Amino acid sequence: MEIERTERIKKTTAIHLAMEAKETLKKITEDFPDNPDAMGYFYSAFNKLYTEGDLLDNSAKIIGTTCLQVPEELIYAVGAVPLRLCSGAHAYDQIGSEFMPAKSCSLVNATLGMLHINHVPYKDSLKAVVIPTTCDQKKKAGDMLESMGFNIYSLEMPSRKDTEESRIYWQRSLISFAKSLEDVTGRRITKGSLMDAIMKTNKARAEFRRLYNLRKAMPPVIYGKDAFIVANAYFFDDIHTWTGAITRLNNELEEKAKKGYCVVNKHAPRILFTGSPAIFPNLKLPILIEQTGGVIVADEVCSSTNLLYDAVTFDEANLYDMIPAVADRYLKPCICPCFVKNEDRKRKLLEMVKGFNVDGVVYQAFSGCHLYEMEHKGIGKALEAEGIPMLYIETDYSPEDTGQLSTRIEAFMESIKARKRRS
Amino acid sequence: MSTGRDARGHTERCDLMKRIREFIYNADINRFRFYFQILAFGLLVYGGYLAIDLGNELPTFACPKIKSRGGICYLYPLQGNLSLIDEFLGERGIRFLTKLVTFILLFILFNKAWCGFACPLGTVQDWITKLRSKLGTRYSTYSEGAFKRLKKIKYILLVLLILLPIGVSNAIPDIVRLPRDFSTPFCDICPGRIVLPIFDGDITQLVVDFRSTTKLTLTALGMAITGVFFVGAFVKKRFFCLFCPMSALHYIFSKIGILRLVKDGSKCTKCGNCYRVCDVGIREIADDVVSKNIVQDDCMMCFKCVAACPEEKCLDVKFLGLPVYRSTEDGFFKRGGKV
Repeated sequence: MEIERTERIKKTTAIHLAMEAKETLKKITEDFPDNPDAMGYFYSAFNKLYTEGDLLDNSAKIIGTTCLQVPEELIYAVGAVPLRLCSGAHAYDQIGSEFMPAKSCSLVNATLGMLHINHVPYKDSLKAVVIPTTCDQKKKAGDMLESMGFNIYSLEMPSRKDTEESRIYWQRSLISFAKSLEDVTGRRITKGSLMDAIMKTNKARAEFRRLYNLRKAMPPVIYGKDAFIVANAYFFDDIHTWTGAITRLNNELEEKAKKGYCVVNKHAPRILFTGSPAIFPNLKLPILIEQTGGVIVADEVCSSTNLLYDAVTFDEANLYDMIPAVADRYLKPCICPCFVKNEDRKRKLLEMVKGFNVDGVVYQAFSGCHLYEMEHKGIGKALEAEGIPMLYIETDYSPEDTGQLSTRIEAFMESIKARKRRS
Repeated sequence: MSTGRDARGHTERCDLMKRIREFIYNADINRFRFYFQILAFGLLVYGGYLAIDLGNELPTFACPKIKSRGGICYLYPLQGNLSLIDEFLGERGIRFLTKLVTFILLFILFNKAWCGFACPLGTVQDWITKLRSKLGTRYSTYSEGAFKRLKKIKYILLVLLILLPIGVSNAIPDIVRLPRDFSTPFCDICPGRIVLPIFDGDITQLVVDFRSTTKLTLTALGMAITGVFFVGAFVKKRFFCLFCPMSALHYIFSKIGILRLVKDGSKCTKCGNCYRVCDVGIREIADDVVSKNIVQDDCMMCFKCVAACPEEKCLDVKFLGLPVYRSTEDGFFKRGGKV
């Protein structure tokens, strides 16, 4: 009976997932005119992953990750491949919610649900799932996943990042993590392998920054929904292929910008998207914003900018310096709300508002994500002091609130447009 | 016609300036510094062979005990002058003042870059660090508390190197006059006096002086400090600089230096890259987002922090207000993360 039920759930979930993915892809590609040619690669990558399954080379050993604090460099250095498991699928959210309290974050639910029904691409190669001790829900979800038979590594993180003690604690934590990775994969981290890993991830981040800077253009040359898709593909794509694809996109956008091309006119409200991450296929909020005439020119979310913005610097090409250097990259500039003091997030947002000529901020908080919910008032005040309006939206993965959301977003866009006309 | 040509000439000039600037900002400052240090080392240690004399007021360790020297460290005449302070009402006083002014002028020209780019003892420590890194030996760092305590030592040394020579010549009754051998106390314990002449093949400084108890104590201390210098420099980057009284003397005038390291805190993400590569472990460079002039007392202006900063125009090196080196995204990623 039980097995039969699970099989049935698996089948229906696969169908629902494919529908969800197709619908989102359809909106992204068909509701907007002339998408960049180089985006074709990314659209088809999602299509393949969600309707056909495998994308990666199955022979590679895969280490699943759930937060952006898991250092990819160390995973690459042991010859394995990181796969970010954070899911944006409503179909999985419904399965995962069975295990979690009533008001829990959709993202945690969905990731749990996906793993529960073994819908992991490349399940056989998945050697371990690394869960940093960020928020309580992720921490405890790790226990549940362990009981479901997954090899869970709980990556210890400090609660503060501004003290020297926390920095040293984190560096030690990563040394233990590196040892575990070596045990799991049977390969040792060497000077050369870590250096290669740092170089290739830094290269990918350099290209991401190029895209980040291209989005500063006025009028804008790319929609935010496309930028989200590009960053989302980094979750699962081969890093070299991804870097090649984003380079082509950047080159195309640069050419277009030179010719004066733009995706919307210069009066379109320029939006900064912040808060809980926008992960495919749950891009309902970004799509709504851009369907109502706005354009997301910048984002501060852990599925995009926060994931790819920072780069590693080291002084001496030896493991004793490079591993702490990698550690610093994942702690010091991190503006995840799980840290006790997070003034840096405010400063980053204000700097982005200036650098991207932002007209308004949309703050997404998944209901049940206490950390983002709790930070919104402080952020709102800081923005208000600079005269930047913020729309705070509490939502989840279900499509039920779409109608109500679109009314609120439309009103927000109208108020921004009116302000722009006045000034 | 002619205005068109002018305008074209102007844009060409601008283009050229932009390309030059890009070339400099993308440069590997640490490699430049490595070669510059060799040049400065040659000048200060072997300059005498080419009849070069840069004067006796250099704001860097150029030891008078090197026979082939190209200049002399200001601490030497400073102590010497102070030991004759009772004769200051006259020509000697004026000579003291001119020397001090010369020192200040030379110093503010390059600020603390004298330490990072010119100091021969600093260069020797950097070479030892290179050797350690090549051998794959781990460096050590101080804990925050130890760092804060130890960095005070240089001010104590500075006060002593001023007070002791004054004690040699004091004319106030009832205070004991110190023996003449205390006239250059710091030089006697300075590892530079012992280490640097060796590069000229002169090992005569490598001795303990038995002529008097004072000399015996000071030179023995000097030998011990030299031993600690080599061991320290091998395990800790720029080990000696934390205790250097010249560095303390620099800091008094650093604020009026015309070479400056300026930070734009609003652009800083506190990623800590600058702190990570800092040889002297200055945390403020990463954590202070308020100060504009970011030079601290231990800073040696090596500008590795600028090369390690991935934010556009966050850290700026300015000479007379003009940018000479700057943190840029392009430069950072071209260097590939290695500083």
